[in-house]
Amino acid sequence: MQYIQATIYLMLTSCFMMTSVQAHDPSEHVKTNEAPKCESMKAMDHSKMDANDPIMMAMMKKCKAQAEKKAMQMDHSNMEMDHSNMEMDHSNMEMDHSNMEMDHSNMDHSSMEGMSKSAAGGHHKHN
Amino acid sequence: MKAIKILFLLAIAVISGSSVIIFSGVVDVAADKPHGKFVYWLLQETRENSIAKASENIIVPDLSDFELLLTGGVDYEFMCAGCHLAPGLKQSDMSLGLYPAPTNLSLTYEKQVKQGENNEAAQARNFWIIKHGVKASGMPAWGKTHDDQRIWAMVAFLDRLPTLTPEQYQILTAID
Repeated sequence: MQYIQATIYLMLTSCFMMTSVQAHDPSEHVKTNEAPKCESMKAMDHSKMDANDPIMMAMMKKCKAQAEKKAMQMDHSNMEMDHSNMEMDHSNMEMDHSNMEMDHSNMDHSSMEGMSKSAAGGHHKHN
Repeated sequence: MKAIKILFLLAIAVISGSSVIIFSGVVDVAADKPHGKFVYWLLQETRENSIAKASENIIVPDLSDFELLLTGGVDYEFMCAGCHLAPGLKQSDMSLGLYPAPTNLSLTYEKQVKQGENNEAAQARNFWIIKHGVKASGMPAWGKTHDDQRIWAMVAFLDRLPTLTPEQYQILTAID
């Protein structure tokens, strides 16, 4: 009987010790950046607020900046763009041909004046 | 001649006694064992008088600009609140573990300011402590990494901290 009682006391003590260890969660150490909770301003008693109070002015500025930031972040997911009517002006486009290579081996030189296939050779480099 | 002999013996006794205390390791430096009342008083008085003397000639600038609360608030949250707490926060790991326990700066201002000290002297004191830190207390010298303007912003925030609600504190100190 005494052995059972001693076991129960020991178990209870162990449980209390475990609880005290678990009570301190490591996540309590984590500090993350948190956006200002400006919606809590609505719940404040405005009759006691002084618009010229530096605290009030600072909070207003911060919440105004947050509201502007939210307005800037538009939802692009539902936006569509019609490309069918878009035109591109090619008149001013230029291409650099200096490094391009051309394969002349299969060219028909019979109709070319003053050039034979052998004279034409294989690859020509245009510079 | 006799008096000199007594003084010499007294000096020898003091040096010997101090040496025993220093080198024997009998002094308990554990932070979870508080000082005796006399030692606590001795250290506190030394610290407070040193800070008062060092900060007496500091000229306090105009701290009424509300913008100071925004920069000072963010710095306070990330640099100070862990030890000196915030509105709605009664304790933290640091506030419990450090010895001497850091002052709870979110409490009413009257409790923070030393009796007979005016507000400007308290501001100069806060500035000096933030800038230079306090030896063997856990208080860092933030002046090594922060300019005076930023430290004054923290002083301005400290002035208003005891008057803030947890909601006001959250808005002022949050970073979006």
